[in-house]
Amino acid sequence: MSTVKSSSENLTLNADGAGSDVVIQSNGTTTATITAEGLLQYNSGYGSAATAYGCRAWVNFNGTGTVAIRDSGNVSSITDAGVGSYFVNFTNAMPDTNYSPVHSYTNEVNVQHAVGFLSSLATTYLGVQYYNAANAANSVDKSIVAIAVFR
Amino acid sequence: MNERIIYETEEGGVAVIIPAPECGLTIEEIAAKDVPEGVSYHIVDASEVPSDRTFREAWSWE
Repeated sequence: MSTVKSSSENLTLNADGAGSDVVIQSNGTTTATITAEGLLQYNSGYGSAATAYGCRAWVNFNGTGTVAIRDSGNVSSITDAGVGSYFVNFTNAMPDTNYSPVHSYTNEVNVQHAVGFLSSLATTYLGVQYYNAANAANSVDKSIVAIAVFR
Repeated sequence: MNERIIYETEEGGVAVIIPAPECGLTIEEIAAKDVPEGVSYHIVDASEVPSDRTFREAWSWE
């Protein structure tokens, strides 16, 4: 076994030269690449080393009772704007509003089903709202809201 | 960070900002960033925000 290590300073892998990639291979097969453009590509069971698109922000929060964030990444806060209406505020803004948020939420016990949708998309925040599926005039709080943003 | 940021919305209601634990920002930095520009706000202890949301839309700030 050979090991590359730096005991006291940063370890730099430098593919010196314009357009050069940093390539990691195992037995002659490429398993991961950081391209000259900064794309991270890896196999990890995908079948080939393909570009991975990162989750740029995520949060899991309780929107009922004492509204609270359970855990998060790249989220500075959430805003409780009223029943069933929340905003997620990013610590570091998105480069544009072409990002793709994915969100899921609970259906509370003994409560009619709810529907949720994105209410706003901005570079610094996104908004979500939840309504009673049988009566759109009734907003409802959700005990588990989980949101991930890909870009 | 067991504090909340309160501000009045354009619709006359109250918005409550809940800081993310370990986000690396102070409550003042979060307020400066996440409260809409030009809107005045108050920093309060989390215990001052009601947990009963039955009349959430009727909340007001005094």
